[in-house]
Amino acid sequence: MDKSLITLDKGTNCSSWNYSGQRLATGSIDGTLAVFDSPELDSSAFTCTSRFKAHEVNIVKVVWVPPEFGDAVACICGDGTVSLWEEVEEDAQTVKWKLCKLFESNATQVLDLQFGISLTSLKMVTAYSDGHVKVYELLDPLELQKWQLQAEFQNVIDSVSTFEKPSCLSASISWNQQRGDSQPSTFALGFNSDLQQFNSSKVWEFDEAHQRWLPVAELALAGDKGDQVYAVAWAPNIGRPYEVVAVATPKGIAIWHLGLNPENDGRLSVEKVALLSGHEGEVWQMEWDMSGMTLATTGSDGVVRLWQSNLNGVWHEQAALET
Amino acid sequence: MPGRVSDSGDSLVPFSPEVRDPIVYHLQHGLKPPISRLSISWSRGNCLRVSFFRPSSSESDTENSNKEIGGKVVEVKLSSGDEEIDDAQKRKIAYGSVSPFALLQNRKNSILALSKMSMNSASYHVEWWQQVTEYSKEINSLLGNPKAAPTSVIEDPRTVVKTVEEPTCLKAAWELMEIFYADKQSHAWLPECLVDWLADYDSLLSATEATIHSKLVDLQKELVNLQAIEDDPRYWEGISSALAVGWLDIVVKLLRLHGSYQVDQLGSRETENGLVEAVAVLVSKMPRMRPELSRRGLGECFKTKPDFMKAWEKWRGHIAKLDCSAFWLKCDHRQTREGLRNLLQIMLGNTNSLTTATCNWMELYISHFLYIRPFTMGLEGMYSLAQRCMQLRPMSNTHRLMGLILGILGENTEVVLAECSREFGPWMVAHAIELLTAGSNQAEMLLHEERYNLGGISIEELHRLVYAQVLSSHALTWQIAPIYLTSCMKQGMGLLEILLYKQPVQHNRMLLKSLEICRLYELDSISTNLMKIAGIYHWKHGRKGSGVFWLQQARDEVRLNRIAQQLFDYVGKSISDDSLKQWEGLIELLGSEAKTAGGLEFLHKYRDLKKSLQKVQDGKASDAAKQAVESLILLMKNPSTPQRFWLSLMHDSLKLLNWREHPLLNVSQTNLLLNKLQELSIARLRPDFCESNLPPQALSTVRLALATNLGRAILEER
Repeated sequence: MDKSLITLDKGTNCSSWNYSGQRLATGSIDGTLAVFDSPELDSSAFTCTSRFKAHEVNIVKVVWVPPEFGDAVACICGDGTVSLWEEVEEDAQTVKWKLCKLFESNATQVLDLQFGISLTSLKMVTAYSDGHVKVYELLDPLELQKWQLQAEFQNVIDSVSTFEKPSCLSASISWNQQRGDSQPSTFALGFNSDLQQFNSSKVWEFDEAHQRWLPVAELALAGDKGDQVYAVAWAPNIGRPYEVVAVATPKGIAIWHLGLNPENDGRLSVEKVALLSGHEGEVWQMEWDMSGMTLATTGSDGVVRLWQSNLNGVWHEQAALET
Repeated sequence: MPGRVSDSGDSLVPFSPEVRDPIVYHLQHGLKPPISRLSISWSRGNCLRVSFFRPSSSESDTENSNKEIGGKVVEVKLSSGDEEIDDAQKRKIAYGSVSPFALLQNRKNSILALSKMSMNSASYHVEWWQQVTEYSKEINSLLGNPKAAPTSVIEDPRTVVKTVEEPTCLKAAWELMEIFYADKQSHAWLPECLVDWLADYDSLLSATEATIHSKLVDLQKELVNLQAIEDDPRYWEGISSALAVGWLDIVVKLLRLHGSYQVDQLGSRETENGLVEAVAVLVSKMPRMRPELSRRGLGECFKTKPDFMKAWEKWRGHIAKLDCSAFWLKCDHRQTREGLRNLLQIMLGNTNSLTTATCNWMELYISHFLYIRPFTMGLEGMYSLAQRCMQLRPMSNTHRLMGLILGILGENTEVVLAECSREFGPWMVAHAIELLTAGSNQAEMLLHEERYNLGGISIEELHRLVYAQVLSSHALTWQIAPIYLTSCMKQGMGLLEILLYKQPVQHNRMLLKSLEICRLYELDSISTNLMKIAGIYHWKHGRKGSGVFWLQQARDEVRLNRIAQQLFDYVGKSISDDSLKQWEGLIELLGSEAKTAGGLEFLHKYRDLKKSLQKVQDGKASDAAKQAVESLILLMKNPSTPQRFWLSLMHDSLKLLNWREHPLLNVSQTNLLLNKLQELSIARLRPDFCESNLPPQALSTVRLALATNLGRAILEER
């Protein structure tokens, strides 16, 4: 049932598969970025095709840029900087990874970033350690060098609290991967911080008419709004009449249903349909399968758990992958 | 997504909610502990990849073998179905079932359309039956074919049990479904169908416990070693067991191995032999309520109940008569006497004898059909009989086929589905649903009802989606997933789009395959996207031509415009022949749809100029020079020529302006260029002027050349 694909270098810290699962990029504690490829289609033989020093400090997360914009990855470093690397071939022979853009960190660090495509442009949402969110937009679809800061805001709903500055340990962003042109760009974001109002996951939607981001839903019940958020994951929607978003907090993994269309007050209706417990301790990562029916999660207990809803809509742990 | 509709009050068939404990898998990554972190990622379908990372400063790194290993990436394929069948065979079945499935869907749609028009639901049902039966038989034949085994010419009389092809549980399960749901014609002789079924698949049940089949196999091994087999109780046990489940050919064959048949004994054991033969004849004359004989080929067939009853009574009469016969007293061989009379008891339907002769409740159940209640009864009656048999002959653990048959007899569609899904995997469910829905309106309602909890889809659609996911996870089967996805009314297309989006496009073959599927199902936006990804991939990897080609196919004006803009960078630069060729090629490519990219008109004209200039350089052909001048003037006159290139154009053409033989430009042409130059000088004063990267003296050089040319032209024109 399981087979080993790749042996990783010593010091490897994080990994990320590209859109088709044909390439793996890994980052390590000494700042090395390595890329593994499979020369044959669906061969399970992967070899390291590039290995280079991307940073002087450790890489904590690698994120692939959507393939419409090339073979490129963003690296988040331990010091909070972000670098964008792109694979190019000058004369169809020498493959080179070149640095396209460096987002330097000042006092604040980037904790998470995710790419989303809206209409034809590429957007990059970054979450900072001071509770700020910045949205960058790529100006030229052929050049990953040219980015423009499109918006900057805090992950709070009422503007009163924006005077305070939280200190955040981690953040999690997940885009609604809707490919339809008519849909507005939407993503969910939650923090793990010391200021309660920053934590709860909010759903942000881009208002094209006024060119601004608006919070359209909060994924926390009244008593849980201060819970630190470990991870959020927006499920692919292949035709459900509602969206599904998973949010992991110390209380467990909550499954939320979101209405597709805003109600009168502009908000989306939300319903918490399940609270799943299983992982002891922190949840590290949550990933939906391509149908949005199975949620895979992993956490500090070192177990991969698979969650599904049964025919009655009752969510349960379907399988556990232990080592 | 396995599971059942538990009792929520609104389900059709209520049963207690069942939340099963999660299945626990153990992953083998072969790394030494500790593991500091895990990372997960779904690949296509239900394929999950897990990365394991080891802490970097681990003290356990003393051994060389583990020194350089920082972690492992492991791929896990989840719920791909029956473990009993290997992957290659699974793929064969997957490919083979595509066309029966697709054909059935087609026919379903057309019959549905027809029946709506004529409103004749009766003909719809009849016709539908035939289609489903045909479908079922076709699928069945894919799962192996133990029936069509060649019989050897010279039969070893001692071979009683022949194993021709290893039967599989999957086929056994499918045949069960077929017997109960698809093959309505055989419902009149359902018991006999089950007798045949057990004959084919009894060996499967022995995986956990002894069965009649395993007993006979053991006996066969012994036959060679036994001198007087009729002395051995195992011989008689084997015969009675085989008789109990109706394997009449084996019974007769074994009886004829009886020692009394041997030539040297015939004289002394005449009565004994007569009795053995009498029983053998009775066995072979057993009336059967079925249209034709099976492979076990003995007995007499009757198609109607009255005929059968008459024959049955008569046959029973013969048995009773033989049972009371005085010959038994003359038979000296105790084992033969007792063995044969036990056989008579079995044929007379003695429950104790039947229970003793069988190994599990399924066999006992079949023996009941043969000797106690040889008629079709309602499923309810069959279910209670099964329960009684289970009490008489309990099995220590439930075989998966038994679970399925109980679900069928219990008329619980949900249990049947759950058993199919849990025990036989997504392929089985996706294909067997057709059989389930064909028979009953109730099942059809249950399986076709759209459920909010499932995201607005029916159970049928859910199982097709799940199966399509399994297909998607392998490079050799993803291409057939669209057949199943397009049969899903609500969410199939959504999943197909995601599946196509996840196909790697850098392999041309793969890209073309994906595009073909897009075309077939009219997924224009996805094909556009795939071509866009391919275009960018090639563009960024040095294959500019392919890049432009695919971007054009995708009609991606934004990116094509950007590419055209990049081509402008070449203007005014001295470039090598090779890159000029490449540049030319790109303009050529872009030009095939000139309207898609702005500024292309200029590039085309510029290319013409560049070409002529090159010819001028090569020789001194003045025709080429004239042509170059024309191109230059055309360019300079054209309002689409960007101002920033004016100087470059003229600088490139210096040679024309300084033509030695005679002035190439006439007065008005020279004036035009001079005016442009003047305009440029003024524009230079504006803050937004973009300085070209020509040498600083370029402007004055051009101005001088133009002035000289003007002078010469004026002189010439006089």
